[in-house]
Amino acid sequence: MENTTTDQQTPLILSGIPPEAQATLHGIEAKKTRYRRNLIIAFAVLITLMAGALIIIGLDFKFMVKWVPFILAGIGYTLLVSFLAISLACVLAVAGALGRLSLNPVLNSIATSYVSLVRGTPLLVQVYMWYIALPQIGKSLEDLGITGVQALFTLPAIPAGILALGVCYGAYMTETVRAGIQSIKIGQVEAAKALGMTNSQAMRRIIFPQAVRVIIPPVSNEFIAMIKDSSLVSLMGVWELSFRAIKIGRRHFQSLEMLIMVAMIYWVMCFLLQLVQEKIEAYMARGDRRAS
Amino acid sequence: MENSNPMVKITNVHKVFNRKHHVLCGIDLEVNSGETIVILGPSGSGKSTLLRCINLLEEPTAGSIEVDGTVIHAGENSNQRDSQILDIRKKTGMCFQSFNLFPHMTVLENIIEGPVTVLKQQQNQAIPYAEELLDWVGLTEKRDEHPSRLSGGQQQRVAIARSLAMKPKIMLFDEPTSALDPELIGEVVEVMERLAKEGMTIIAVTHEMHFARDVADRVLIMEDGSWLEEGTPEQIFSRPKHQRTRQFLTHILQ
Repeated sequence: MENTTTDQQTPLILSGIPPEAQATLHGIEAKKTRYRRNLIIAFAVLITLMAGALIIIGLDFKFMVKWVPFILAGIGYTLLVSFLAISLACVLAVAGALGRLSLNPVLNSIATSYVSLVRGTPLLVQVYMWYIALPQIGKSLEDLGITGVQALFTLPAIPAGILALGVCYGAYMTETVRAGIQSIKIGQVEAAKALGMTNSQAMRRIIFPQAVRVIIPPVSNEFIAMIKDSSLVSLMGVWELSFRAIKIGRRHFQSLEMLIMVAMIYWVMCFLLQLVQEKIEAYMARGDRRAS
Repeated sequence: MENSNPMVKITNVHKVFNRKHHVLCGIDLEVNSGETIVILGPSGSGKSTLLRCINLLEEPTAGSIEVDGTVIHAGENSNQRDSQILDIRKKTGMCFQSFNLFPHMTVLENIIEGPVTVLKQQQNQAIPYAEELLDWVGLTEKRDEHPSRLSGGQQQRVAIARSLAMKPKIMLFDEPTSALDPELIGEVVEVMERLAKEGMTIIAVTHEMHFARDVADRVLIMEDGSWLEEGTPEQIFSRPKHQRTRQFLTHILQ
């Protein structure tokens, strides 16, 4: 790993190496440099072509710039929904994973059906379920004589969206967390137990911290997907990013501009998240053999 | 040596895996305080299973295990059972063939993990003794490294220090040198030897013949889940009674 960062044209001065080996090493270095250069060129060309295409089809950039502040005003809702939903999903995922691994039949069956039901139904249906079907349950309960629940079961759009996304992603992440926990070698639990730890101490101190390291990439994946799926709350009339873009685009018959713009905004957010993920991964990898 | 009260007393222990593999067939064993026992035997004979039954990493199918006065009867369900099992594990240190150090912690954190999490000591309370142990296994300079930076022999010595941090009454060694490169075996055996000399009660499953011959007080040979032969190292290595013992010894001594 070391030489890829320090090589930059520096002649390899290794004493005691025959000249032909020296030449081979230089050849390898030159190949690497060429590859890096060509890769940068390829990206540059690709970006230029895409930008050129946008100009050729006559994109109205002035129109785009004019509406940027209005569209961006929706970013608050997008971030609010995403962060609260992912927090809820993380809590549910840990509880769900423990339930899936539990030997308690009640907990295990609850967790297993949660994952199965939620993963097996479309998110779109779930969003509507929380928003427009739940009040009906409230009404039925009222009819059964439990007064005062109707209001509790009638959720405003944003809480309904957060619950829908959080519960749905929690189910997917349950399986991620479970797999992460199961990926830790049995010897780790045995070593913890041999020290006299209880099961929960072993889970908290030994298994879970190691599992977290394994599941950071898939969880980041979920988070990135969540940012984009948060646009589903626009179905309930929340003025978040994509809702605004679609509204403006339709009104002015310039949907292309608005959609490209909102797509770029999502992409930038996800790109930033990816950078955060890399930072966290690097931090988590300390002490890891693969990182050294 | 008071024979009245052995440190470890195993009575008629059976272990059956998956309803069909009868791995231990009525094992009895008494180990006195300060004694060093080496268990030898062909692979699959049940040595490791017996060792893992002593600290209840495996639950015996029948029989009883007594460690330093705490008794567990197989198949019995009582309210204090879980806490008794934890009690036995606290009094018992164990070293594994694959070390099983905690990779997300530094060497020092590995060693204080037991005292801090299990014995509820304060970190700064646990550190001086951990450092003492680290010095004792000769790895003071590795204090803040992660285990992946250490050689196998160093990892196993840290694992020994980690077990000793719990101040156990007895140490179990489950083939502690089998995963090591030949040149690293010596440093681990040397630590085990010093431990034996300091009066620790040791039960070791090992094919390290020097340890068996020169350090052990007693050597037991296991075959197919039962004792084949038992005696002082002198007896076992110089004049074994059984033909099978002789065969096994010539096989591992080449």
